Parts: sequence; C-alpha cells; structure tokens
Amino acid sequence: MEASAMAGLRVLELADQRGSLCGRLLADMGADVIKVEPPGGDPARRIGPFLDDRPHPDRSLFFWFYNLNKRAITLDYTRSAGAEILLRLADCADIVIESLKPGRLAELGLGWEQLHRRNPALILCSIAPFGQTGPYRDYEADDTVAAAMGGLVYICGYRQEKPVRAWGLQAYHCANYYAAIAALGALFARARDGLGQWVDVSIQESTMAAIEHLAGNFFGPRIIPERYGTMHWARGFRVGKCRDGYVMHCLAADWTSLIEWVKADGKAQDLDDPKWGHRPYQREHVEHVFDVLDEWIKDYPAGELLRRAQTLRLPYGVVQWPDKLLEDEQLAARGYFVEVEHPELGRTFRYPGAPYLFGGTPWRLYRRPPLLGEHTVAVLGGELGIGTEELAVLSGEEVI
Amino acid sequence: MSRPLEGIRVLDFTWVMAGPVATRILAALGAEVIKIERQPEIYLASQMGIANDINRDKLSVSINMANPRGIELAQSLARISDIVMDNFSARVMRQWKMDYDNLVAIKPDIICVSMSGFGHTGPHTNYVSFGPTLQALTGFSLMMADEQGRPAGFSYSYSDSAGGYTGALAAMFALWHRKRTGKGQFVDFSQFEGLTSLIGPDLLDMSVNRRKPQPHKWRSQEGPAAPHGVYKCRPRGQDADRWIAISVRSQEQWHRFAAAIGNPPWTADPRFRTLYSRMQHDAALDQLVGQWTQGQNAEAAVALLQDAGVAAGLVENIEDAALRDPQFQARGYWPAVAMPGGARTQVSGMPFKMSRTPPNVLNGAHNVGADADYVLGDLLGISPADRQRLANDKVIWVE
Repeated sequence: MEASAMAGLRVLELADQRGSLCGRLLADMGADVIKVEPPGGDPARRIGPFLDDRPHPDRSLFFWFYNLNKRAITLDYTRSAGAEILLRLADCADIVIESLKPGRLAELGLGWEQLHRRNPALILCSIAPFGQTGPYRDYEADDTVAAAMGGLVYICGYRQEKPVRAWGLQAYHCANYYAAIAALGALFARARDGLGQWVDVSIQESTMAAIEHLAGNFFGPRIIPERYGTMHWARGFRVGKCRDGYVMHCLAADWTSLIEWVKADGKAQDLDDPKWGHRPYQREHVEHVFDVLDEWIKDYPAGELLRRAQTLRLPYGVVQWPDKLLEDEQLAARGYFVEVEHPELGRTFRYPGAPYLFGGTPWRLYRRPPLLGEHTVAVLGGELGIGTEELAVLSGEEVI
Repeated sequence: MSRPLEGIRVLDFTWVMAGPVATRILAALGAEVIKIERQPEIYLASQMGIANDINRDKLSVSINMANPRGIELAQSLARISDIVMDNFSARVMRQWKMDYDNLVAIKPDIICVSMSGFGHTGPHTNYVSFGPTLQALTGFSLMMADEQGRPAGFSYSYSDSAGGYTGALAAMFALWHRKRTGKGQFVDFSQFEGLTSLIGPDLLDMSVNRRKPQPHKWRSQEGPAAPHGVYKCRPRGQDADRWIAISVRSQEQWHRFAAAIGNPPWTADPRFRTLYSRMQHDAALDQLVGQWTQGQNAEAAVALLQDAGVAAGLVENIEDAALRDPQFQARGYWPAVAMPGGARTQVSGMPFKMSRTPPNVLNGAHNVGADADYVLGDLLGISPADRQRLANDKVIWVE
C-alpha cells in the first residue's frame, strides 16, 4: 500500500458544521480523526439533505460529506466524568480541532492552558466566527452572518439590488482549509522543539482572505468594489444569453480572432473600430462590449457557439447546472467520484472525491462516514483501556 | 521562535491569481518564495493594483524561459529548492523540462505542485481555464441566481482564492511527508476539482437522491432558519446600499428577536408561530422584517440584535471592513507593508493566529527582477560579470 501523508497522526474533533471540514481534509490524507460528539450527536446530523429525504442522524448527506473517513464516539464532555475521559484522549492526540463558542472549552476545564499543561506537544486548532479575541468574539454567527461580515455578501449579485449569497457554506470552507494549513504549520514548528501551540482561526477573516480584489482596490485608489452581476471586477468575463442557455464571454484572449468572427456574422456593430482593440479603452467601456456580444450570441445555440470558440482558441465557457458534473468526462477520466459502500444500508453511493492527486501519498477512501457512536467502545475500551464495567456505568449515566 | 516553514525554499512559476495566492500563504508561514517572472515587466500592468496583496514577501527574478540558458538557470534553482509550484496547463512545464519527471532526475526529493485548470490527465487536460469560467462550469453562476432568476456570481474569481488555499494545503501535505520520510512527489491539483470539492453536500444530494439543482436564493443552507437573509437598512449619508444579515433558528432565538425589535403585533401572527410555519410564510415574514430594518441604522440594528443573542451582521463593504469594523482592527487583520521606494500600504492579512509561530506579512511585491543579485549571485554563485552578460543577452531581466 502507498504511504499516507498524515499517517500516524491522531486528531480529536470537537466540531459542528463550522469546523468539520478541517478534520475531513486531514482524514482524507491518512490522519486518524476521531469525532467526539455530544450524546445526541453532532447537530450537523440533523441538517439536510437526507438520504431519500428521510431525516435521521445516520442519513444526513450534509453530515456524510463533512465526515467521511473519520471515526466517531459520543462523549458528554460537559460533565466532569466525560471531561476527564476527553483529557485522557487528548494525552495521546496530536491535534484537537474545536468549533465551540470561544471560552467554552476553558469553562469545561478543557481550555488551552489545561490541555497544554497535560500534553505540551498537543496542538489546539480553534475555529470560530470571529476568532478567540476582539470585541465581536462572542457574537452569534452562522455561515450567512460570517460571510456578510467577511465581505463576501456585499459583492455578490447586481448593483442596486439585493445581494445574493454564495452557494455552499464558503465562509466555513475558507476557514477550514486555512485551519488545516495552520495545523500543519504547527506540526512543522513542533517538529523542531516538541511543543504544540494554539491556532486561532477566524471565519470572518478567512472569508475576507478569499476575496482577491478588495484590499488592493481600497487601500490604493480608495475604490469600493460593488456587485457586478456575473461580470468579473477586472472586466474580462460576463455571462451572456444564447438561444438555449447561457455562456461565459471571455475577453482575456485574442481580440482580433473574436471580433473577426463577430464581424463575419454581421454582428460587430461598432466593435470593428480599432480603438476597441486597445485594452484600457475596452475595459473602460466594457459594458458596451458585452452588450454587443450579447446581441451577437442571442440566436446561437450554446453548443455550436462553444464548439466554434474552441476551434479559435477563445476560452468561452460553459454555463451549466452542477448535476452535469456527475457525467463530466474530465472528472470521470480522473476518477474524481468515488463509490462508498454503506453496508448497514446495503447500498453504495457516489461521493465527490479528492481535490488533488498525490503521486506518492494519495487521497484515499478509508471508511464511510461514522454512525452515531459507532467507535465509542473501540476507542474508549480497546484503545484507551477503559474496562467493560466502567463503560457500562458511563453508558448508564449517559456520559457516553 | 522562527516561523513554521523557515528553511523551505519555493521556486514559484505561478502567475495571475490562484498560484500566487497559494505561494503567498507559504511565504507568510516563513518559506522563501522565489517568484519567477518571464518578462521584464510584471504581468497585467501590476495586476490591477493588487500585486502587493498577492505577491507580497516574494523574491523576484525574471528569466527568459524561451532561451535555453534561461531554462538552465531555472533548473539550477530547482536543484536548490524544496518545492516547485506552477499553475500552467499541463504542457508548459514539460516543454521547459521543468516538470516532475525531469526535475526528479536532478533533485531526487523534489516536490512539484502543479495547479492546472483541469489536471495533467484526461481529455480536457490542455483546456485553458480562468476562475470565472470554472465557476460557470461547476454551477456557481446558475446556483447563485438572483430573485428574478438571472445568473449571478461572485463579481470576482472565488475559484482562484479557493485554488490558492487548496494548493497551499497540498504543498503542506507534501512537505510534511517529505519531512517524515525524505521523499518528494508530484501533486497534480486540478482547480476544477478543487472547486467541485467545495459544493459537496449538494453534489452528494444530486448523486444520491437524483435531486435537480435549483438556486438556494436566501434559504438557509445549514438547516432551517427564518427569518434568514439580508435586509435593507436606512441609508448611511448618501449610501443607500446598507444591508444586514439576520439568521434566526431556534424558537428561543425567535422570541429574543421579537423582543429585541419591540414585539410588534405581527410577531404574534399565527403564521409565524413555529419555525416551520415561518419558513412556509417566509416571503411575508421577510417583508415585515424588512419594514423594521429600513428604519434602522445598520450598525445599531446589528448591535441591538447581537445584544439579544440573535445572529446578525453588517453586510460589510471594503470600507466598513477596512476602516470601521472593530474586530478586524482589534485582530490586526490589515497589516501595513513597505512597497519598493519605501511608501507603505495596507494589505489583506492572514486569517489565523498561532500562539508561538504567528504567520507574518512584511513587505509588498518586489519590483520585477529586484532580487537577481541575491538569487543568482548569493544562491547560485554567478559572478556580477556573468550576471551582466546574462542580462545583456536577455536571458534575465534585472530591475
């Protein structure tokens, strides 16, 4: 079997949907990620969509996606018996990922100071809407509110109209990728002197860090970028409507090839004037350029337009619904989708797979998402060495 | 305590956006990033004013890769680097003999991370791609349709930012594996697949339940909520584009929300009694909430709701975020950097703190070729006379 980049690392995850993707990214590369859920289960188990639209903690597709490749135990670490077990688990962990309210872990006797004192090598990675410090630390937020305060909502949609929101929980996604990067950074630092540290990830800041043009436009020329519909702020792209659908116009290619084609179709209007080949002028009046091009394509079938664009090496883009990805030949050729067997359901499902292909340490499917409490006995009994009788008591007291 | 990646050298062939975002993350963590330009001037006329944001803290040398001596120089740099990154389509690095198969012969533990649009295999491997075209291809443009059903989008290339952080993470995984085992490898990261991996739950729903995709608009994507969305507030001076986001989930939050806005009679309307019935009547509810917000100052409304424990936030534009949001200020999110010539500007910071080895942002983008003396002289040992000869022969360009 090929190597795993994260082999031998143990991660404890005390996270809901705000912080679950980070552990997933590490688990996909071979880390042993143990999700520690409260007795009722991670709240994400109650978030849809559900398999066959039948709500159940073990049928949430939302939970499935974020928790593939992890193991799961239930443990009520808000009670002292549970907190004590958590500390013992943390003694033999490399990383703890948490997305509780800032300060909550410390209230439970599980904060950075306590964890660090017991296990100085441990890395604590906290993910919170506004981070662990500052005046908004205790503000309530979900992905919507964090995305709004991180600058992502204001710029999506059309000028003068209500903003639209990003598809997918992108504020969380940004924060979780950054959290994984930071956790790995802490591993590098620990490799030098054996000491862990506390990583503090802000979802608001991670969202802002994923917007390329705001700081540069503001701190220099004091421009406040607005909502431009489907147009890219640098004005090279806009969606246009064909006879039977949409395509993405692209001006970031050879202008002459494009305009010769439009002219041959008799639709160039004034765009054959050489002044339009001058980029700064074109950028300044780009709305007109796109309006003329929209008029040009409106009777074209999208497929024909895209085929002809391809032969001229004009990177016009397909605008499609995402279910087309399931039959995309490029994704298929690279084995992007993976079949995941759920034996307890007697079924196999196609999951989105790896965002990257590693030559030496590939992304791998290790196990389907865990059922609620599936590994409690194996982890606490087998690995932590808690005896059968004590497990029974803990279970009776609803600690596990 | 030095930063996590100090001692790591990155040979950076990336350009435009996604690649540079990846290498700027590695630079902030302490890696020495040598950015290779391939012309005497920076691409896209200083990248529309955002060069300091995306190319900060990188060394700059400019090498003519159309010249065989330029390729030799680049290979010499690869020999003393830990990781080579690019975001070209698959054929470019191969043409220069700077791909993994060639480099591993001269540096056995080299890591190559290629962040191409579609990956190095498959029928579309040579397709040209840009962030906005990838967003359209993966469904974002249609899924983000506005209330009238018009496609919309990000107004920028989220795909590039996402590609950037995914590429940086891939590089970290490969570096960690090499640290433990001494082994390098090739990482073939397709930005198309990176973006596709960010819509997981819905894609799984389409795959498993055969769901037909439709735009979410302002319906919550993480469990039921109502009211949920953005609501227009009173103008701020001349600026009428003021909105706040509100998200109310539990029954308890609903009661707190109603109390915070003064329990107007409509909050007792039977249509709004339970979360389910509020969602059934969300259009009517949104209109009534909007009637309340339109008389409110946005910042004050947020403070009022947050004081009541209700999730609410200002829909911040960059001026709000850069000048007025006390949270960004308190956490020092907008670091000041020095530009060539000594003037200073502010840039977007790193979105995480580390208690012992914090990431750091120090300097803006260097001028093209500014670091030729250090990189070609100190690192490669090329004498000043030979560097002059390389410049005269247009193998390199210096500042």
